[in-house]
Amino acid sequence: MTPSRRPASSHILDDDARERAMTSTTNTRSRVPHRGATAFWTLGVPAAVVLGTLAWALSVRARLPEPVAVHWGPDGADAAGSFAELVALPLAVVAPPIAIGMWALASFLGQAALTRRIAAATSVWTATFVSGVTLATVAAQLDAPAWSAASDLTTGVVVSLVVATALAALAARLSPGDVPQPTTAPPSADAARLALGDHEHATWVRSTHQAGLGWILGAVALVTLVLGLATRDVLLAAVLAVVLTLPLLAMTAWTVTVDERGLTVASRLGRPRLHVPLSEVESASTRDVRPLGEFGGWGMRTSVVTGATAVVLRAGTAIDVQRTGGRRFVVTVDDAETGAALLNTLAARSR
Amino acid sequence: MLFRIDPTAGEPIFAQLAAQVRSAVTLGRLAPGTRLPAARDLATSLDINVHTVLRAYQDLRDEGLVELRRGRGAVVTDRAGADFVPLRVALDAVVAEARRLGLSPDAAAALLREALR
Repeated sequence: MTPSRRPASSHILDDDARERAMTSTTNTRSRVPHRGATAFWTLGVPAAVVLGTLAWALSVRARLPEPVAVHWGPDGADAAGSFAELVALPLAVVAPPIAIGMWALASFLGQAALTRRIAAATSVWTATFVSGVTLATVAAQLDAPAWSAASDLTTGVVVSLVVATALAALAARLSPGDVPQPTTAPPSADAARLALGDHEHATWVRSTHQAGLGWILGAVALVTLVLGLATRDVLLAAVLAVVLTLPLLAMTAWTVTVDERGLTVASRLGRPRLHVPLSEVESASTRDVRPLGEFGGWGMRTSVVTGATAVVLRAGTAIDVQRTGGRRFVVTVDDAETGAALLNTLAARSR
Repeated sequence: MLFRIDPTAGEPIFAQLAAQVRSAVTLGRLAPGTRLPAARDLATSLDINVHTVLRAYQDLRDEGLVELRRGRGAVVTDRAGADFVPLRVALDAVVAEARRLGLSPDAAAALLREALR
């Protein structure tokens, strides 16, 4: 656009300048750190696991019946197929798309450590679980006279689930965290404030709960029951119930705290615990959140549109924090106005 | 809820804290069953001694406003919700009447303090 010199269109100039300023903010935002580590955890480790599984399966191919069992029901193997169908198909169809999707998410929208950790854990979990189950299906028919003689998969599936979850937790833990990026600029004047005396200390604490908790627990119980009936295995159903329910339960009740250290959102169990240091708060505001539309669901989330990280427990009011490094953090909580105003006030006072 | 303390004020900090919880409960802003922050967390957030918070919670327990449960912290009692409804209504009436008469908040508070003596 050619800047006009006529005074009548001076506001257009202003708009132009504002647009340039916003573009430069967007440019800093797109600088995503730790891309090497992201590639390692979302692509490298999953590829190693999947290729290792494939290599082992190929090395024992001669010991498998022809055709091989490719499907198991409550009474053991119930369908036969080719080796490719048994091994290559699950490894190729499930793990690579997830790995590439998670790599893209963390590489392009991974400004926050939470996003990179979710991506690393998801990719590692998927690759490990699929590989584990594939290993189990191969091992179940090694040296079997015919595909119908393949043994039970229960133990293999349970072990895969546990190992995948443990490796995913490890990947999340070893993924690089956020480096401090403090700012000295106070929140803008139009960000809501709270009247606070010079000598006053203040903190705002609020509990927030997952909406529809009863439905979630009911669904988990139902899945467990169905699995228990389908597998006719109490142990398997119990392990699945624990593995499925524990992370869910840990993320149903949270405490949101604003104080002189910043914003802390901690699960009632203590972990997970998300923290935005006061020195990294650019400004806080409130807004209504649509869980499905913006974050694709509930829980600890990253928006695939904006890269904002969030603890979304219900629709409605939320604190929305603009954080340094082009990061954004959102938490749904009642009386968000007071929390956001106190956060702005404390941030302004500390600068 | 919002907790604020002023260490330079004349009123002891534990009393400032207790007063805020008390008014939040009596005004219905803290519902029965609401869990107050763990004493240690609140003390860290406000940069005060944990015993100061515990002292405030104990006073509130003695007034029957909260229950102190081991491992669960301080929880607003059911009693606190129900018992204070008439007081809340009466306070609203006092406020309305004081405003109608054009009394300053300080003057109205002084009258109330006098009446409670």
